[in-house]
Amino acid sequence: MTLAALTNDQRDALQELTNIAMGQAGSSLATLLDAFVDLSVPRIRVVEVVELPATLAELVGKNNLVSAVRQSFQGYLRGEAIIIFGEPGTHALADLMGYEAELAESGQAELLLDVANVLSGACLGGMMEQIRSFTDTHGPAELSFSMPSIMARDVPAQAIIDPQKVQWTHSLLLEVNFTIKDRNFVAHLTMLMPEDGIEKIRGIVDEFIAAF
Amino acid sequence: MSLPILVVDDSAMARKMLIKSLPPEWDVNISQAANGIEAMVAYREGKAAVMFLDLNMPEMDGYQVLEALRQEDMNSMVIVVSADIQPIAQERVMSMGAIAFVKKPISFDMLNSVLKQYGVI
Repeated sequence: MTLAALTNDQRDALQELTNIAMGQAGSSLATLLDAFVDLSVPRIRVVEVVELPATLAELVGKNNLVSAVRQSFQGYLRGEAIIIFGEPGTHALADLMGYEAELAESGQAELLLDVANVLSGACLGGMMEQIRSFTDTHGPAELSFSMPSIMARDVPAQAIIDPQKVQWTHSLLLEVNFTIKDRNFVAHLTMLMPEDGIEKIRGIVDEFIAAF
Repeated sequence: MSLPILVVDDSAMARKMLIKSLPPEWDVNISQAANGIEAMVAYREGKAAVMFLDLNMPEMDGYQVLEALRQEDMNSMVIVVSADIQPIAQERVMSMGAIAFVKKPISFDMLNSVLKQYGVI
């Protein structure tokens, strides 16, 4: 299947939707960690799944060791939220959360899951809130989430995803990142949506554009 | 004479949403900028008696614009319009000279009450 790329207007509108949703996620993270969080400008790509490892490496930084948490969502939209943590930040998390001693591996993993859950929940929640405000959804526009799970610990960014295990051919990829400068903490929130999801997003974005 | 106002946001959609949210009876001459560098050019051309300023932009962000304005006498009423809803972001821009902070997504009512509160309209 060939996939028409998003038009510039569609990309711009989706970027703004993402930006607003990300602001809510950033605010939740700031509250959780009691720190000021710098937000990035969202990046949006339509990529072939085989290109995903290279694309993620480009977005996150090639030789950085990262840990990643995945959480799938379904309902009105379907896809995967993947939250990628830079290595120094992973170790700073316990400190940011106010734990006094160095945490055991299981405790660190639990923190990553908690933070990932807050980010993906706030971001997708913010996204859905906006969608409900301008679309005629014919019934409730809701999402359900899977439990978050660790998909990688301390691996190079290009090794987070094995394309052969992904059942899609194309993916819409949204990426934003949250940085706490003086703590060396960075978390990338990426959302991947499959082919049919891209068409759905295209429709949503067109309604958004038409509403203003 | 129409009041020159400047809408600064990297998203064309966000600029459009803001412009549609302005009071229809307000007599303004609207210019737009897609980043801080363009905003400063327009400001120096006298196009920004009021500036609606996004924070999170490529090239030169909203904080850098506030800093640059401060060094150039701040001859503009700056209303920050941002999706960054952290209280510290709000405090920071107010301390840098912005007169108000409006959260995205923008609403007509919210923008109107801010403009009234500060006597802009």
